Amino acid sequence: MATDRESLKATFVEFARTRDVALRDQLVGAHMGLAAYLARRFANRGQPLEDLTQVAALGLLKAVERFDPSLNIEFSTYATTTIVGELKRYLRDKGWAVRAPRRMQELYLSLSRVVDALGQELGRSPTIAELAAEIEASEEDVLEALEAGQAYRFASLDAPRGDGEGDSVGESMGAEDEELARAEQRAILTPMLDQLPLRQRQIVHLRFFEGLTQSEIARRLGISQMQVSRLLTRSVAQMRAVANPTAEDG
Amino acid sequence: MVPARPEFLRLARVTAAGLAGRLGFSYDEIEDLRLAIDELCFGLTGPTGRHGTVELVYTVGASSLEVAGQGRFLEDIIPIGLTDLSRVILSALVDEHQLTSGPEGPRFRLVKRRHSDAPVSGD
Repeated sequence: MATDRESLKATFVEFARTRDVALRDQLVGAHMGLAAYLARRFANRGQPLEDLTQVAALGLLKAVERFDPSLNIEFSTYATTTIVGELKRYLRDKGWAVRAPRRMQELYLSLSRVVDALGQELGRSPTIAELAAEIEASEEDVLEALEAGQAYRFASLDAPRGDGEGDSVGESMGAEDEELARAEQRAILTPMLDQLPLRQRQIVHLRFFEGLTQSEIARRLGISQMQVSRLLTRSVAQMRAVANPTAEDG
Repeated sequence: MVPARPEFLRLARVTAAGLAGRLGFSYDEIEDLRLAIDELCFGLTGPTGRHGTVELVYTVGASSLEVAGQGRFLEDIIPIGLTDLSRVILSALVDEHQLTSGPEGPRFRLVKRRHSDAPVSGD
């Protein structure tokens, strides 16, 4: 082991002198175990391990390139700091856009089918208990899955507009636009509404001005309530971004 | 009492949804509640959070849920108020809502009442 360490040290010295790419790759390869180990420590935070390992490997590469063997510190100490820094930055940049665990994704998908069907059957919006019974899950699981759906919503906020979200139901709604002319609200919201794709504009209008519930909107537009929910959340966030253009530096 | 950051305020939403579920609120009503809490938390802490804490108080009524949040921030912030947009959104979503500057810091309050005639779950 000691000789291994000695030879790695010699390689670092050699690399510092020559900047030889082959030596660099050799050093990276020799420490990939460290990168993989650190990546695993950041697993279970919603990002796939392969992605984390890549980020860690990139951090390792940076560490190898920046390491100064004349300083009296272990490379592994130096590299750990760099790699962990990269991993943290990566996870932070991902922010809210975390991926929900697979089981929750599946539950969310089952729910999206059941919410509308059950709503029609009951003639009203179902309760959490009713949804839980229908998909044979606990109420906590239902709530968690709905929250997981929220995570997808935040994931899409990076692309604020022009995402091509449907014009398909557009024509039938033309007449409703007249009613949008409630002067006061229109004055407030028009510039923000203008930023939204047509379908989102309709949903915002129906929910906030006409006072329709999400399930009523879903029926009227012929889309699922989950879709209404997601588009509504996205629309609010987009309008907020327009209303608070400088809020980001808060 | 939680740090005034988006990832903690997510808990405010989860907790409210959980309580509302127990009270027999409909899916529609719970979705409204979530959006409203998002909107008020955004008003309180902005998109990236603040240095300080938010104290959350949930009051469960027979068929209503009140959520109050008291922000205590280390930094001085510009007087907080609701934008016109927030007001329009919130009045469509919940029965009562407020975001005001208090002596200790900004605070919000909302009330959502159960209007659906669904059976109440649990005991």
